[in-house]
Amino acid sequence: MLSGNAVSPGIAVGPVYVYRPFYPQVEEGLCPPEGVEAELARLDEVKAAAAGELAGLVDRLSAEDPDKAKIFIAHQDLLNDVAMDGEIRAGVREKHWRGNWAIWQVYENFIAMLAQVPDPLIQERVADLKDIRLRLLRLWQGEKERNLSVLDRPVVVAAHDLLPSDTATLDRSKVLAILTEVGGATSHSAIIARSYGIPAVLAIPNLLGQVDDGMEIAVDALTGLAVPRPDEQCRAEYLQRRRLYLEEAEVTRAYLDAQPLTADGVRVDIGLNIASADAAELDGADHVDYIGLFRTEFLYMGRTELPSEEEQFEVYRRVLTAMGDRPTTLRTLDIGGDKTSECLPLPKEENPFLGNRALRLCLSKPELFRIQLRAALRASVYGNLWLMLPMVGGLEELRRAKALIAEVKAELEGEGKPVSPDFKTGIMIEVPSIALVAAQAAREVDFASIGSNDLCQYLTATDRGNPAVAGYYQSFHPALFRIIGMAVSAFQQAGKPISICGELGGDTLAAPVLVGLGMRKLSMGLSGVAAVKRTLSALTILEAETLAREVCACPCAGDAEGVMRAWAGKKKQQDER
Amino acid sequence: MYSKATTIINATGLHARPASDFVREAAKYKSEITIQREGSETAANAKSIILLLSQALSQGTKVIITAVGEDEQAAVDGLVALIESGFGE
Repeated sequence: MLSGNAVSPGIAVGPVYVYRPFYPQVEEGLCPPEGVEAELARLDEVKAAAAGELAGLVDRLSAEDPDKAKIFIAHQDLLNDVAMDGEIRAGVREKHWRGNWAIWQVYENFIAMLAQVPDPLIQERVADLKDIRLRLLRLWQGEKERNLSVLDRPVVVAAHDLLPSDTATLDRSKVLAILTEVGGATSHSAIIARSYGIPAVLAIPNLLGQVDDGMEIAVDALTGLAVPRPDEQCRAEYLQRRRLYLEEAEVTRAYLDAQPLTADGVRVDIGLNIASADAAELDGADHVDYIGLFRTEFLYMGRTELPSEEEQFEVYRRVLTAMGDRPTTLRTLDIGGDKTSECLPLPKEENPFLGNRALRLCLSKPELFRIQLRAALRASVYGNLWLMLPMVGGLEELRRAKALIAEVKAELEGEGKPVSPDFKTGIMIEVPSIALVAAQAAREVDFASIGSNDLCQYLTATDRGNPAVAGYYQSFHPALFRIIGMAVSAFQQAGKPISICGELGGDTLAAPVLVGLGMRKLSMGLSGVAAVKRTLSALTILEAETLAREVCACPCAGDAEGVMRAWAGKKKQQDER
Repeated sequence: MYSKATTIINATGLHARPASDFVREAAKYKSEITIQREGSETAANAKSIILLLSQALSQGTKVIITAVGEDEQAAVDGLVALIESGFGE
């Protein structure tokens, strides 16, 4: 029996797919002159094998996912490019390069050439070239394809960890569950699993030493258990519980389009957190009142070139247009800490979470920040833009950021580019120092949003990525609810909107407490929307306020969780009666 | 040597599918074929998708197509006709 951290609910039984990302091992190498012909023959084999894999992919995807198929059709063209092929062969024939070194070098040169072309459409092909190069080098090393974007059957993915580059193209229709060796409730893997509605159990010690490809496994991502090679009885039990879970989920789903009202008719706006602005995410926005968190980091991930103003503008415009009058809370670049990007190399820091990240980083690189601000403000005329600054610790940096925003606005207007007069500027409250001066901050911003993940990390002084201290990262710590309550009161008194966009907002245990603290805007991943609306519908404000008082009076997180669970249990009984 | 000038009329330019179509057409001929932006010194091998893409030939760009070889005239005429067809966009 394997045990870990259940971060995305659900139950699944299926074959394991061990995902080990391929890291090419290439170094400069020469072959003896008499080996040149053999090396060229090997190159032909590898290229033919790559062509075979691509043809297989295109074949399979043409029917089920034509858009994805197009990517691989383009790869076929690039693989067969006469110019690159000629240079690779010349490298082997004339310079006696080893075949894999020739592939590496020649692709590198062409990648550099494309990266220089001042056209974002062309620069995007750089990722394609890297992908094809990886395919060739993997085949050169004789390894099987490991790719989460094209799975041939439904599987339970087992991995050490999943990075944004691994999940960007994840085939969500074929992933039954995700298991990893590292990662907490707020890790990238967890966020992705929840936003795709895939059951996930993370931080299973030595997972990869205990499962093999194709081995059947039963996963309970409600309790955090997984049983490799379940016997007949165990499998039947898991499948039965899966049915019950799915039936319950079906009842919840009926609330997806319900009005977000409490039992006594008070409206609590429900927002959506989005991270890639793709069609599926924007479809999800149909069920909510606003976008409470638009993470813009994806624009910077998995690439070597910074995104241009134009590219960012197009993406922001798409989201703002889709949302219309409903607010889109666009969070400015939040890189640093646990999030790094190839296109923005940062010096290694002793304490990255306490270092030059998010707004601090942007203020230290105004040229970078200006590009994003220009793109966002230009897009503001297409919808209802709420511009949100992350990682604000005090009013000084807020003022500096606001001055920069004002400069950019004036600059755009000077160029004749329209900026909406109604866009709003606000802050994330995720650093305890700003929460404690929330009343002062409220005078200088239009809105705020609680980033509960980082606020919890900073308040409890717990690195949320470090499994050794995971037990100290307590999102139900009464101190966290108290500080959130203070910020909510301060903004309410100032008459300014305050929302929450951390994981706590989408947690059905925590949502009633937040409402009891006065919060009237909760933003979350799509997977939480229906469940939170259902929870709200059974709750009166008086009940919520009583619950919040009880929770805040608890001495520690365990007690608070006990109170919240007891309350949820009581509600469930009422519901069943 | 045979060469002709034309203008790219389709909206996406020689990117994505039109670029693939262009390279596939070029590969049908035996001649050596190049494409270059009018006024530019560098001509790209018209049979290489990657070199074609690196030219970033967008809508409205004037290009010169040149071929050398036994079927040079057919090659240039074929490719110019393809560009002028707008790639079915």
